[in-house]
Amino acid sequence: MSTSAHPRPSSPLTPGFSALSSCVPEQKRDSRFRLSEEQKQNRWIPAFAGMATMMLFSTAWADSGIGVDTWRGNKLDPTAGQASEACDARGTTWLAPLQRRSPTGNLYDCPNEAPLAHEIGEWLYYGVLQVGYIGTGDQGVAAWNRYADWRSDKAILSLLDAHFERPSDGSYVDVRASRISDEDQYYQAVFGKAGAYKVQAFVRDMPNILSTDARSIWNGVGTNNLTLPSSLTPGGSTPAQVAAASAAAPTMTLGVKRSKQGLSASTYLTPEWTAYVNLSDEQRKGTRPYGGPFFFAFAFEGPPFNLNDGGVNETIKPINDSTININGGLRYAGPEWRFDFSYTGSFYRDKYTSYNYQSPFKLTALPVIPGAIAAPLYQGQMSTEPDNNYHNFQATATRKIPWNGEISISASGGRMSQDDALIAPINCQGVFGIGLGNLQLGPQNPMLYDCNKWNTTDALSRKTADMRIDTSMFDARIVLQPTPQWTLRGDVKYDRQDYRNIYLAYNPLTGQYGYPSENGTQGSIVPGESGIWDPRTDPSALTRVRSLPLDIQTIDANFGADWKFSDKNTLSATLDYNRYEPSNRERSQIDASSVKLTWVNRSLDWLTLRVNYTYLKQTGNTYNFDPYEFTWSSSMPGYVPPATGTPAHTVDAMRKYDMSSRDENKIDVMATVMPRDDMTVSASVRGDWNSYDARIGRQAYDTVGATVQWEWQFATRSSISAYAAWDRSRLGLSNVQDQANGTGADPTLGGSNYALNGQWWATDAQRDWYGGFTLNHDIGRVRLDVNWNYLYSRGLTDYTYAGPTALAHLVGNEGPGPGGGAFPNMIYRVNSITIGATVPFSERVSLRLFDYYERGRINDWHYLGFDQGLVVGNRVYTDAGPQSYKQNLIGLLVNMKL
Amino acid sequence: MRTRLSHSPLCWAAVLLLSGAGTSAFAADYVDLRRIEPIHGDAAAGAAKAAVCAACHGPNGNAIVPMFPSLAGQRADYLYHRLAEFKAADPKAPYYAASPMPAQAAGLSDADMRNVAAYFAAQARTAAPAAPGNAKGETLYLEGDLARGIPACQGCHGADANGPAAQGNQYAAYPTLRGQHAPYLVTRLNNFRGNLPQYSSNDFIMHGVARTLDDDSIQAVASWLASLPPKEKH
Amino acid sequence: MDLRRCGVVFAAVLSCALVFGAINTGLAQQRRSEIAQSLPSTNLSSEKQIDPSLPAPAPGFARARVADNPQAPEAKPVGEKTCVACHQLEADHFTHTLHALGLHVANRSDPSIPVCETCHGAGSAHAQNPQGKGLIIAYTKNGGTPIDVQTKTCLTCHAGGPRDHWSGSVHQRNGLSCSDCHNPMAKFSVEGSMAKQSINDTCAQCHKDIRLQFNRRSHMPLPEGQMSCDDCHNPHGSLSNGSSLTSFPLAKTNTVNETCYQCHAEKRGPFLFEHAPVRESCLNCHSPHGSNQNTLLVAPIPFLCQQCHTQQRHPNDLHTPNSLMTGKNPDERIMGRGCLTCHANIHGSNAPAGSKFHE
Repeated sequence: MSTSAHPRPSSPLTPGFSALSSCVPEQKRDSRFRLSEEQKQNRWIPAFAGMATMMLFSTAWADSGIGVDTWRGNKLDPTAGQASEACDARGTTWLAPLQRRSPTGNLYDCPNEAPLAHEIGEWLYYGVLQVGYIGTGDQGVAAWNRYADWRSDKAILSLLDAHFERPSDGSYVDVRASRISDEDQYYQAVFGKAGAYKVQAFVRDMPNILSTDARSIWNGVGTNNLTLPSSLTPGGSTPAQVAAASAAAPTMTLGVKRSKQGLSASTYLTPEWTAYVNLSDEQRKGTRPYGGPFFFAFAFEGPPFNLNDGGVNETIKPINDSTININGGLRYAGPEWRFDFSYTGSFYRDKYTSYNYQSPFKLTALPVIPGAIAAPLYQGQMSTEPDNNYHNFQATATRKIPWNGEISISASGGRMSQDDALIAPINCQGVFGIGLGNLQLGPQNPMLYDCNKWNTTDALSRKTADMRIDTSMFDARIVLQPTPQWTLRGDVKYDRQDYRNIYLAYNPLTGQYGYPSENGTQGSIVPGESGIWDPRTDPSALTRVRSLPLDIQTIDANFGADWKFSDKNTLSATLDYNRYEPSNRERSQIDASSVKLTWVNRSLDWLTLRVNYTYLKQTGNTYNFDPYEFTWSSSMPGYVPPATGTPAHTVDAMRKYDMSSRDENKIDVMATVMPRDDMTVSASVRGDWNSYDARIGRQAYDTVGATVQWEWQFATRSSISAYAAWDRSRLGLSNVQDQANGTGADPTLGGSNYALNGQWWATDAQRDWYGGFTLNHDIGRVRLDVNWNYLYSRGLTDYTYAGPTALAHLVGNEGPGPGGGAFPNMIYRVNSITIGATVPFSERVSLRLFDYYERGRINDWHYLGFDQGLVVGNRVYTDAGPQSYKQNLIGLLVNMKL
Repeated sequence: MRTRLSHSPLCWAAVLLLSGAGTSAFAADYVDLRRIEPIHGDAAAGAAKAAVCAACHGPNGNAIVPMFPSLAGQRADYLYHRLAEFKAADPKAPYYAASPMPAQAAGLSDADMRNVAAYFAAQARTAAPAAPGNAKGETLYLEGDLARGIPACQGCHGADANGPAAQGNQYAAYPTLRGQHAPYLVTRLNNFRGNLPQYSSNDFIMHGVARTLDDDSIQAVASWLASLPPKEKH
Repeated sequence: MDLRRCGVVFAAVLSCALVFGAINTGLAQQRRSEIAQSLPSTNLSSEKQIDPSLPAPAPGFARARVADNPQAPEAKPVGEKTCVACHQLEADHFTHTLHALGLHVANRSDPSIPVCETCHGAGSAHAQNPQGKGLIIAYTKNGGTPIDVQTKTCLTCHAGGPRDHWSGSVHQRNGLSCSDCHNPMAKFSVEGSMAKQSINDTCAQCHKDIRLQFNRRSHMPLPEGQMSCDDCHNPHGSLSNGSSLTSFPLAKTNTVNETCYQCHAEKRGPFLFEHAPVRESCLNCHSPHGSNQNTLLVAPIPFLCQQCHTQQRHPNDLHTPNSLMTGKNPDERIMGRGCLTCHANIHGSNAPAGSKFHE
């Protein structure tokens, strides 16, 4: 492992407590402790010990109000066991033939057969064990194995679900587990007493396969040091050599496994007070395709240079990190008052601060200055995400008030911070930049830089990041119901993110500002583009010198009324005003006003209808198309504009879509129709039309869709359902090619630089067709289930341009005027069918045999031609892109009621 | 087992094979009266078949012997499903062994049973000898006895004990109780309490209700029902 | 499976259980376990007195009382035994729920705590006239109980916490009842007393379009059962109504990003160099429910980026199929990862040389 790579010191022992120290910003702190590998393996014990301690003092399971981990299942059974339960043939009630309908009108599900419980002393217990075998002729395709590990034939524990309860006092224990493989499994245990407390623990592993057709030219995949094999010379290989190395590399799988363990507890302290704590720790380990810039290759391949230059490396990022999430709180719910106090904390630790890679490609200085020689750079670096801490406290107080009302006030304050060790600006040895005739440092070589002056953290204005965002939120809302017909609502919310600290890219060793761009390669290829601004020797260099703080303040106020004008008809209207005030953005104030109308009609026995319509208008103050000037060297004292003027940052007509003025119309109609007692049809139509006031930028984004589902419970245990849906989205944008190749000082659209004949338009239209069918039916003793799902997505990106000057590359057959074309269709089509049969052998034992066949077709033009090789010019790709597949999985499961 | 069955019909065949193997009857062990269609019968045709019934059930279904239920004015669907029950019953099984009805019903076709049911339903119930009312029975019937977990009978059998007021096929086979002989009702409730018969879904309902009753309550509610004068045909 | 990891976790849950057992002293006096198998009581307080020898009811059920049904003000409680006389099958299923477990224990300790009538209100009017609409609190389409009576009944015990902002929430305004999503009458789902087999299936009753988006090429692991809608949304109402650029409807946290950071903590930073739209909202570039682009992107790269980036030189060129590997001018700005091949740390960079997310 290279010394210049930066393995992270380690994870905190007790994040909850180191957290407290970070509330004192002035103090220098070292919240990280060094742990040996052994200690790291065992860090669970202190973590849980700390957790148990916290519980004693104050501290529900991750619920719908806070936290994640609300569900654990797997692709084989996303319902975590419910799907394999047989519905009670006796139905729901002796008094009526069918399931009743929910208030909206959906048929309630048929309840499970009552479990066959045993008695063990005062405990009752029942459970299910489902074990078996899955066979899959796996071709190793990522899309098929997404979030599941079906890569080999194997014996599986499909489900273990055991429930114990003691009816005398309401105690219960639940154990649930499923194991497909080491990478795809979960185990959980719950212990509690109804109405008193609940303790839950889980362990879960989930795969995320990203690519199964990757080829790496690097050794050390999965570590923070990617080195080239001996067949390649770092910084000195030809595309042909790299192509040969790539073709010779074996295909490999890239993916990340998430391993999570969690513990949670909640308890009633009194009938009104409850306390809860949830703690989880998650490790992510694996690899993913990533970038690795050694400057452009495209720019030099054609005339006038005809060079294979630069280097585009699709590297492989090592993922090796852990996150501890904690939340806990106290809740009070009394007849008049309610309170909710909560704390949320998150502690992210990455093993690596950065990873290094070697670029195989040879760099050549552009022959625009006689004698220009490129520094022989080959070492690249990529920072990983910094360790970070997060704390948030929130309190809500709610009180019942006259007029059947409620007033609620919430406030929260939080802090996210990171103070990771920074890496050096570059990790080269020797020199970077361009030498004239030779690569000797000295005044004769003003474009050549000493790596030693930039490859240590002494070259930084500070050695740690020390960045922080403080968040605060205040919300006050009131709901009144003065008469049964009228409900009045009002809400004011204030939300703020304060960015603390700013980073100045200043090298105290050289007195220069900026940074070596693209691992030093840009300045080694293009004279004068090192990325370094020197007020003495290069005062006109344009480069980033400062970080960008992004404070945000939002005020939202809304008022609404619901009028129940008849027993089963409600009309609602809500007026909302939102003021969004970002700093250092194109607008400092954005105002969005909207009106939302709702009509809910349930007056007919066979229909529930909900209609929602929203009109929103977003405007704002003056649009400053270039608010980022202050982050550039051009804002520094001593900056001297070039003779042609400081190049315009961007075109004045650009309106970024979040900041842009916009009109939105949105409609949403949902109907639940009950044509017969045993049948339900649900249909929805939705549309969202956004029109942006932008000549350049996003101009429109419209989505329309319709869905219909039909469900027929034709017998107590038998049902058929089917659905069909369609949606469409259309995103339109415009951009404009500059004419001066980066030197134009005129930002005006239609001016000399951003001339109108360089303008172009693109439309991305996505269409999806969905269909599906489900049947559950008893044929004799055999329970048959059939499930078919179909999706056909087609994306079409087309474009037009005002003149061929808009184009990245001229093919040669363009006319002088406007033109256009389209990319090949982006296609994702999946057809999957499951047919299963469950055969009971006895009251307790049944056998399930199923077959799951899926066919997926993927066309993504980004990867067009990648099957012919992953190297083209000075570019090497690792991921060959998504693959189409046909897969069959056959499973045989024995289901035993314990 | 390295299964490359994606193109092979083998797995589908296996599924079908298993399905086929399992087609032996797996009928529910009770008749579900929640999903019935009301019956239609020919009362005139039923009259012919009903002649033999009079021996026990009296002229036109007005039983003289109070151990036998009166059938006149009873709801046709109740009568039909009760006949079907006797026809389907194992005459040696408990409950049925004590009844002459399995033998009587054995010879009836489905159409016969519909017709007979229609016939008795169309007959007028003649007034039984006036019997004294019974306040306890009335209260039980109309209000139940909540302290003892007894639900009101009228919820299903109607406020006038003439069958359920509610519309809906699932109620079709709920009987009218008005003016029925008390000894018959007592026997029937006692049987329900003992979880017999278990022929139909409705029997499960009545078992649940009857198990809340003690002998006194059964006697009281039966006497009160028997004391009610017949109503005009519903 | 790391057995040690598993062992440690289960040891932890066991020790926590012991701690809680100790806290809840006196609860485990299983003196009358035989009652469990007998017929339910009639729970009429006039009949039975509180038995001081039994443990006090668990706090969560201690305040349970007969629900107030404004449509049957005269109705009297009848007790579970009466209900079960007719509703045996329902009772058969209900028995295996957490509500039943807790209510039965509480009812035995304190007969004034009802079982069925805690949620359905006093039953006498219904018992006499089962077809009378609204005489019992019904959680059904045509049972005659107004939605707000239904929700109010549930909230009698379940007020606060995740449901603190139910009043005025989008689901409340659209006339949903608790029982549109929850069915506590039997175990229909392994978690959450849902009305359908899972949280996701429950939401899909109305939001099938959203559910179907998860079938698209890139998606969160929701169809695979690894997460639920509830991980990001609080369907009971939240402080976030989606009217701001940094929020979305029924958000579980105060902002879009805060919600995403729950699982993607590495994106939290703050980074030395930030990307403005990333800090503002992940939804600026990602379509959270699924996309036919890679990694949930809203539009194909480079066009996604070119909605904002019209800077001079390389960002503002129009690419055509000619820039693909199969074209005459293969171009790294569109092939494979496109822009992200070089601007790899697009979510923010902590490298001093990463102001353009190169490193």
